[in-house]
Amino acid sequence: MDDRKDNCQEKGGTAPLAPPGNGPGLSRRDFLRGSGAAAAATALAEAPIPEAEAQETKKADKAVGIGPGSVKLTLTVNDTKMTASVEPRVTLLDALRNYLDVTGCKRVCDRGTCGACTVMVDGNPIYSCTMLALEAEGKKIRTAESLVDGGKLDAVPAAFVACDAQQCGFCTPGFVVATGPCSTRTPRRRPPRSSEDWPGTSAVAAPTSRCAVPSSNWSSRVPANPNPQRSDPWQ
Amino acid sequence: MAVKWPSKRRLLGTRVSRIDGADKATGKARYSFDINLPGILHAVMLRSPVPHARIKAIDTSDAEKVRGFKAIHQIRKVGDEVYFAGDEVLAIAADTEEHAQDCLRAVKIEYDPQPFLVRESDALNKDLNTVSPFGPKKDRTNVQRPITATSEGFDEAAKGVEVTVEGTYGLPPISHQCLESHGLVAQWTDDGGLTVYASTQAVFGTAMALSAHFNAQGIDLPATKVKCITHHMGGGYGSKFGPDIQGIAAAELARKAKAPVKLMLNRADEVMVGGNRPGAYGKVRIGGKKDGTITAFESDTHGSPGIGRGGTVGPMPYVYPFTAKTKHVPIRLNFGSARAMRAPGHPQSCYFTDCALDDFAAAIGMDPMQVRLKNLPKDDPAAKVKDPQSLPAIRGTLYQQQIEIAAKLSGWKDKWHPPGKGKGTGPIKHGIGMALHTWGGQASPQRNDAKVIIASDGSVTARSSTQDLGTAQRTVTAMVVAEVLGLEVKDVLVQIGESPFGTSSGSGGSTTCPSQAPATLQAATAARDELFSKVAMKLGAKPEDLEILVGRVRDKAADKTYTWKQVCARLGTATAEGTGAWTFAESARPANAGISKFGVCGVQVAEVSVDTETGVVRVKQMVAVQDCGMLINKLGCESQVAGGVIMGLNYGLFEELIIDRNTGRVVNADMEFYKLGGIQDMPRIIVHMMDMPERGVIGIGEPPTISTHAAIANAIFNAIGVRVPQTPFSPDRVLAALSKGGK
Repeated sequence: MDDRKDNCQEKGGTAPLAPPGNGPGLSRRDFLRGSGAAAAATALAEAPIPEAEAQETKKADKAVGIGPGSVKLTLTVNDTKMTASVEPRVTLLDALRNYLDVTGCKRVCDRGTCGACTVMVDGNPIYSCTMLALEAEGKKIRTAESLVDGGKLDAVPAAFVACDAQQCGFCTPGFVVATGPCSTRTPRRRPPRSSEDWPGTSAVAAPTSRCAVPSSNWSSRVPANPNPQRSDPWQ
Repeated sequence: MAVKWPSKRRLLGTRVSRIDGADKATGKARYSFDINLPGILHAVMLRSPVPHARIKAIDTSDAEKVRGFKAIHQIRKVGDEVYFAGDEVLAIAADTEEHAQDCLRAVKIEYDPQPFLVRESDALNKDLNTVSPFGPKKDRTNVQRPITATSEGFDEAAKGVEVTVEGTYGLPPISHQCLESHGLVAQWTDDGGLTVYASTQAVFGTAMALSAHFNAQGIDLPATKVKCITHHMGGGYGSKFGPDIQGIAAAELARKAKAPVKLMLNRADEVMVGGNRPGAYGKVRIGGKKDGTITAFESDTHGSPGIGRGGTVGPMPYVYPFTAKTKHVPIRLNFGSARAMRAPGHPQSCYFTDCALDDFAAAIGMDPMQVRLKNLPKDDPAAKVKDPQSLPAIRGTLYQQQIEIAAKLSGWKDKWHPPGKGKGTGPIKHGIGMALHTWGGQASPQRNDAKVIIASDGSVTARSSTQDLGTAQRTVTAMVVAEVLGLEVKDVLVQIGESPFGTSSGSGGSTTCPSQAPATLQAATAARDELFSKVAMKLGAKPEDLEILVGRVRDKAADKTYTWKQVCARLGTATAEGTGAWTFAESARPANAGISKFGVCGVQVAEVSVDTETGVVRVKQMVAVQDCGMLINKLGCESQVAGGVIMGLNYGLFEELIIDRNTGRVVNADMEFYKLGGIQDMPRIIVHMMDMPERGVIGIGEPPTISTHAAIANAIFNAIGVRVPQTPFSPDRVLAALSKGGK
């Protein structure tokens, strides 16, 4: 507890509350800077492990530990090297969300069924809840966050927006990530218009949506190969 | 203030993509589940593994020694009872989620098992008094007193029937399966305040409830010091009002640990305790004349709200004004409590009524669409005089129109055939079926505030504490403001989902749009008027001569126009602001006629194919005809209807919450054995929205999900000629019905 208090004081008080805007109220940098001491134990890029964290680890050693302790993890997420200290049992999904503050991949079923956590690992769609974070070291990870560049939307999320192929939107980033390679790798095939057209084995057969508007709106309105000038943005 | 919707609509009624769509699609939108704060702790809940027990001992000493332990919040103490598998016992916060789970595993609890019941038939056979005590008499009975109603002249009507049909129908309980689970992130502030990022359908109500909770504990927490933030919300469907037990636990843990705490339910917990739509089973007898006139309806149903209370069906009979005698028995059982789910009670009532109607039609050899037309409620002449836009005044005509549109869009005339008598001799049979629904969708009785601020640089902000559950409410607000001020949707910054922004009601009963849109109309109109009064002199004009054009303001007297920015610049250092407040009472005032209303109809037609060898049902096409008064965002409405239809399709084909009779546990508290359809299961969906601007705004969230599974049930009946009585229409149920010949 004391460590955290010190850390807060170092920062000059507690974290700011959300500004009146609709933003999350905290930048990723704020989060990473502030969370070194306790839970998340994250740090940007090659930053050394802060003193406070080292103390916390020492103290924690006296407590009853279950399973092996934390190890240093370096992941390349959306072309940025990110480091965190995680236990080997932590999944890629939880490492991204809880330790690196990359939250576009959502946790819904947490056991490889729903697809809300889909990310690209070395160009292939993976349910990030089914992969350990340590397994992803040295691999290129891309999430839905990478599909917007300086305000310009990639064609796939742009089509989701134009077709209103989302409502609550909680499944959408996973859908978008799964859709990318589907539409760019088979450029000549148009997306399915209904169950009739759909072989049921493709990347987007699995994602589960509670309202399934992606299935109705997306399948009928998203153009095939929305981005023909790019061969495969995921590689 | 008296306002009116513009007679000529520029943006309202058009299709506009939701303004937060890009943020959602690229993961930039932060849901409560996505909130990370410096030093955040993770909490998990320990739940009873048994369906009914008395707690003999709780030992948390080992758990407190586990690596990362920070705080514990005990919900139940020794001697207390737990009433279902999943009932909350305690919550623990630790530095990481993994450590919190380790802590949980180290807690030792001894349970003294008590008798339990999870099956309605078992309870009806023998009541064991296994549920939580209720009321002054501490009633613990499982089988509750029946709810009965008999319309005047029922006995006579029942005597006069020529044909009677009796059927047994059933719907199992199903889970809300919100993709973002229930929960919140709680953070206490230095000034003794509490900020929560909650996944809730009631931003303002959640803040109030948290304040009330702590005040009741003797901890001073003024309502003004609680801030609830919900910028984006991952589905609620009626199950997310208020902080809930886990939300209070998170706030308590955050207080004890002096650090922010995140507590979001895991998937199993979400299915067990996040609410369920109760099931309903029972018999319906329907009788009438050979010409298709139905004169008597009798139902005897029962259903379980789990450990909760109340009946599990809505109005019976549904839609049609049959002379009726109804009986419903609620049965309390040892599983999670039912919660409101998208038109609570209506899908059940619709299923019982519309399936029975089709069975009657088959018995007299008539097209069920004709039977429907024959038995529709009539327009009420008295209502036509008193309130011509009210539902009783128009519903007969409206249903008739909608049935005609649905029949045309679905090709009913060509596709309908007597049940089981379709063309072709192969194993795959085709069928078509119809069902009707209704809903309210009025403004909330609670006040809804809205505020619009025009700055001197021409920027416009619209603010309210209301929430956007995925309904595109944020976009609705932007559209209303842009319409009034002659701007584009992108020009309006919408700030919603923060409790300090004023009073707002929870998003239940499809009340948000009919509450918020009028309040926003008032606020935008007032802001416009204040702008005019503040700048008129500087423009050398009279305020009443100024009018809004697209992107411009015109001085009618001088026939001069200015750009929006030129006009706003005259505000100097000031702003022009307007507020609005809307309630149901406000909407009922004669001066406010045409602003918001309630009462909608809806007709859906399903087309299915049934493989009589495998029992597999595929829905080929759904036609949904829906009204909701004046359309604001046509695209948003269409998405709501398509989403509702798909939810209803899932009710019909896939969903069932299965509770094991021997252990009392939910055996499919997950997403692999709790089935939801994927893209490959989805039909072609044709949505037809009726725009009725003269009625004003009416909510749309709930109605389109009501009649889908009844339409599918009737389409299956039409395909194979036998009734599959119970949802979901899984292959085994279809084959069983075929082998029994529907008896």
